[in-house]
Amino acid sequence: MSDHSHDDHGHGHIKLQYQRSLPIPNGKLCLWLFLSTEIMFFAGLIGAYIVLRFGAPEGTWPLPHDVHLVEWIGAMNTFVLICSSVSIVLSYEAAKSNSVNLARGWLAVTLILGSVFLGVKMVEYNSKFSHGIYPAAPRSLLHEKADIYYVQDVRMKLTAKFDALKAKQSANEQEPSKAPELTADEKTQLDVVTKLLDYVKWTETIASINPSTSRRHVAMERLAMSIYPIDHRHISAEEKHETIAKILKEEASEVEREVFAVNQQKADFVKTRGAAADKHVALENEIKVLTERKMKLQESPKPAGTTSIDNATSTTFVALQDQPAAPTEAQQIDTQLATLNQQLTQVKEEMAKIDADLAPLDSQVKVLDGRLKAQDVLVEAHGGLNEHQKWLRLPMMIPSGNMWASTYFLMTGFHAIHVLVGLIAFVLILPKQLDSKKAHILENVGLYWHFVDLVWIFLFPLLYLF
Amino acid sequence: MGHDDKHVERQHLGPTTNIDKHASHGGLGIYMAVFVSLCILTLLSFLVGNSQTLRVKAPQVMWAAMMAVSCAKAMLVMLFFMHLKWEANWKYVLTVPASMMSLFLVMMLVPDVGRRTRTYSDDRWLHSATPVEHKEEHHDDHDGHTHDEAKPAADHK
Repeated sequence: MSDHSHDDHGHGHIKLQYQRSLPIPNGKLCLWLFLSTEIMFFAGLIGAYIVLRFGAPEGTWPLPHDVHLVEWIGAMNTFVLICSSVSIVLSYEAAKSNSVNLARGWLAVTLILGSVFLGVKMVEYNSKFSHGIYPAAPRSLLHEKADIYYVQDVRMKLTAKFDALKAKQSANEQEPSKAPELTADEKTQLDVVTKLLDYVKWTETIASINPSTSRRHVAMERLAMSIYPIDHRHISAEEKHETIAKILKEEASEVEREVFAVNQQKADFVKTRGAAADKHVALENEIKVLTERKMKLQESPKPAGTTSIDNATSTTFVALQDQPAAPTEAQQIDTQLATLNQQLTQVKEEMAKIDADLAPLDSQVKVLDGRLKAQDVLVEAHGGLNEHQKWLRLPMMIPSGNMWASTYFLMTGFHAIHVLVGLIAFVLILPKQLDSKKAHILENVGLYWHFVDLVWIFLFPLLYLF
Repeated sequence: MGHDDKHVERQHLGPTTNIDKHASHGGLGIYMAVFVSLCILTLLSFLVGNSQTLRVKAPQVMWAAMMAVSCAKAMLVMLFFMHLKWEANWKYVLTVPASMMSLFLVMMLVPDVGRRTRTYSDDRWLHSATPVEHKEEHHDDHDGHTHDEAKPAADHK
């Protein structure tokens, strides 16, 4: 009441008392509210990752090694972030006790450590990109399954390389002065690409015409295996290679048997065709002889009993039919000619049929030979064609690989953005006079930075070790 | 009177100065202890993650162990580096609901996404990402050597 009366003659307003809702400064409260939304943001990402990773068909999620993720690099980055967390805390403590230079020093250390983290991240991303692991097409070389689309993609990539090399080669052949010759490397590349194209053609032939579903899948999966083998057994690379080489060798010997069988079939056909060709020649000769005789008969109508090869038969015929000899002989030759011509047509048809049968066998042998020619290139490719011949960069089959890439790049990307924002904040604060009055800035930035560290604490085992 | 008002105001600012006093609970010793424990825990999860025996025999144990280690590390960072150990009860208002929301989010995803492969038909499996093995094709496998390459993956399951 006394307050009221006082105000009446005083300045005429009520003094309101400012009451904090929480016993902390507003800046810190805001930062904590922000962090609580961040907790939900990253929890959503991490939760989605966990669900997708364990929802993936059993045994398909790529292990770190499959996608060129190195565990110890991740562990090192964890260590770097932990160190930076300590240094920012020490910077805050130094600022509170008014040691400006010490605070600045620790902040600089934090800035450097954060940059190291981002640098390592860059190196890691680069190793993914160089192997064709991107979050999305068209750069991504990842395929989930070894299906016909995969084989098609491999063929298209190989054809593009083949065309480029061929174009260079023909340019050189036309104008050797202008276009440079293919280097030794390029020559080997052309050779390898040619062989691999034959191999892909063989695979595509099986994938499109083989009646067995299993055989079709195995052919396509072996192509994927030769390009980018995925073997989760914990054995040496050499042992893994031996397994693949063994499979490839067995396949090659199987193909060799097939070539042998087809060649035998071909030989049979050729034999039949030879017999038919002989018959064809004999028939043609006979027709020729008869035609000549017919011509002679037409030129000089001769009396009966003229000497000829068929005299005896014609006489018999005359005797039987009781008809004049000369017209009979001409008629007879005509009938014989008609029969022979009919036979000739038959033989020709037969030969055409055999030729038609031989053509696919020839192309079959060609396709099978393509597989056999590629054998050397396939067997000597340690760690797969993509690893052995790095310039190839062929599409890879990694089951659940696209899902992996999406989640990996999304989560580490968002985390890296947070690190970057922290670094920018450090750079902005660094020139300030970091005494006890400004310590609250360091406290808030520190809270944010610890949160970034906290997220990485969960990301590291989830991405690198699971 | 004006002087009194200022005094009242200062009283209400009081807690801030109190926090500053509390925050000094930290100190180099504790920070170093936390740092060392964090390093040890990181090493622990690294070793667990690289243990082939665990990976083959009990992957669930391995995952649970690594998550437990991660939670422990997160708690250390939050309690000591983020000073939550010395904060008043408001800390629960901000952290507990956020954690519950995130937990619910994950749990709600499980039936739809996490367990989606449990009800796949054979046909659906044929068109999904699978390991190198073809489970459903054993019956039309006439030639015995077609499954050679499926073995490596199968061995490791």
